[in-house]
Amino acid sequence: MMPVWKGLLALVLAAGGQTLLSRYFPAAGKMVDFYTILVLYYAVSRRKVAVMCMGTTAGLVEDLLTHTVLGMNAFKKTLVGYVMGTLGSFFMLSQPLPRFGVLFLATVLEALTEAGLVLVLGQHVVLPSAGDLIRLGMGNGLVGIFIYWVVSKLE
Amino acid sequence: MAMNRSFPERRPFFLLILILASQLILMSHQVRTHRGNTLLEDSLLNVSSPLVKGASGGVGFLAGFWQGYVDLRGARRENLALKANMEKLEEVGRVGEEFRRENLRLRDLLELQRSLEIPSLAAEVMSLGVSSQARTALINRGSKDGVKRDMPVISRKGVVGRVIAVGRGIAKIQLLIDPNSGVAGVFQRTRGQGMVVGVGDRGCRMDYVSDLEDVAVGDVVVTSGLDEIYPKGVTVGVVFSVAEGDQLTKNIFIRPEVDFRHLEEVLVLLTNEEAAGHADLSP
Repeated sequence: MMPVWKGLLALVLAAGGQTLLSRYFPAAGKMVDFYTILVLYYAVSRRKVAVMCMGTTAGLVEDLLTHTVLGMNAFKKTLVGYVMGTLGSFFMLSQPLPRFGVLFLATVLEALTEAGLVLVLGQHVVLPSAGDLIRLGMGNGLVGIFIYWVVSKLE
Repeated sequence: MAMNRSFPERRPFFLLILILASQLILMSHQVRTHRGNTLLEDSLLNVSSPLVKGASGGVGFLAGFWQGYVDLRGARRENLALKANMEKLEEVGRVGEEFRRENLRLRDLLELQRSLEIPSLAAEVMSLGVSSQARTALINRGSKDGVKRDMPVISRKGVVGRVIAVGRGIAKIQLLIDPNSGVAGVFQRTRGQGMVVGVGDRGCRMDYVSDLEDVAVGDVVVTSGLDEIYPKGVTVGVVFSVAEGDQLTKNIFIRPEVDFRHLEEVLVLLTNEEAAGHADLSP
C-alpha cells in the first residue's frame, strides 16, 4: 500500500508541474493534465477508496489553483477515477496500450462530465473542440504512459 | 448478483455518492443563478417551498377552520340576539298596529260624534255577554259620566242598543240583537214602518210590516224615532230576507250593520243637560 506521504508528494509534484507548465508553456499546458494522470494511476493500481480520496484531493487542489468553481474538478476526477477503477478491475491495464486507452477515455469522460455538470449547475455549457479534446487525450495518454513507466522503475 | 452484495462490498459506491453529493453542494453554494441566489439557496428554496406552502396551507386551513368555528359561535350568538330583537320588534309592531287600528276606529267615532246634533259620550266596550236569552254588553261609562237608563248607544255603523242598567262607572247595554230589544224602524226607500226586534245571532226581525208594503232584499232600515229612545235616521241594518207572513204581514229579516262580535268603541247619546257637565268625551 502506498503511504500517504507518497501520495501527497505525488500530488504536490503534479500540481507544481501543471502550474509551471500552464504558466510558462500554455500550449503544452492545454495538452496534458497531470492531475488526471495522477488520479488514473491510482485508478489502475489502487483500491477504490484511495482513488476517490486522491480524485477529490487532486481536484480540489486544481480548483484552488485554477480559481474555478470549488468542487468542479474534484467532482469529475472523483467520478472518472471511480469509473476507471471499476473498469480496471475487469481488464488488464498493466500494458502501455491499455493504459493509453484508459487515459484517453478518462480525458473524454472528464470533458463530458464537466459539460454535464455545468449544465446541471445552470451555467452556459462550452464544449471543448474535438481537436483540443483529442490533443489533450493523446497528451495525457503519452505522458501518462511515460510517467507510469518512470514510477514503476522507481518502485 | 449486484442485488445480493453486502454493505461492506458496496461501501465504496456509497462513499462515492456521498463525496459527489458533498461536492455538488459545495459547487451549488458558489454558483449563482439568474435570480442572484446561490444554486444551493435556490435548490433549498425549491425543495422547501412545497413544504412551506403545504405547512402554510395547513396552518391557513386550521386557522380558517378555527376562525370559521369562532365566527359560527359568534353568528349563533348574534342570531339569537337578532331573533330576540326581532320578537321585540314584532311585538312593538303588533302594538303599533293595534294602536293604529284603534286610532282609526276612534277617529271614525269622533267624526260620528261631531256629525251628530245630539251630544254623545264615547265609551269602550269592556265585555260582551252572550246567552240564549240575552245579548248584552258592558261599557266603561256609568252614572258618574251622566249615563242613564234607556239612553241609546250607537257606533259609526249604526244602532248598537240601549242602556238598561247603570252603575257608577259602568253600564249595561241591551244590544239590538237581544230578543227583548225593540227599535222603531223605517225603510229608508219606502218609508214603511215597523218594529225591529232581535233574534240573536240571526240578526233582527222587522215586525208589523204590512203585506202590501213594498220591501225588497237590500233595503236599508233606519230608526224612525217613534220609540222616543233612538233618534231618527240612525242605520239599523239591511233587509236580507223577505217572505209572506201568516197574518197579513211580511216576515222580514234584517242583518244589522253593526258587527256585534267585534264591538269595541261606542257612543252613548246624551240628553242636552247631561252633556253640559261632561266635556271629556274620549273613551
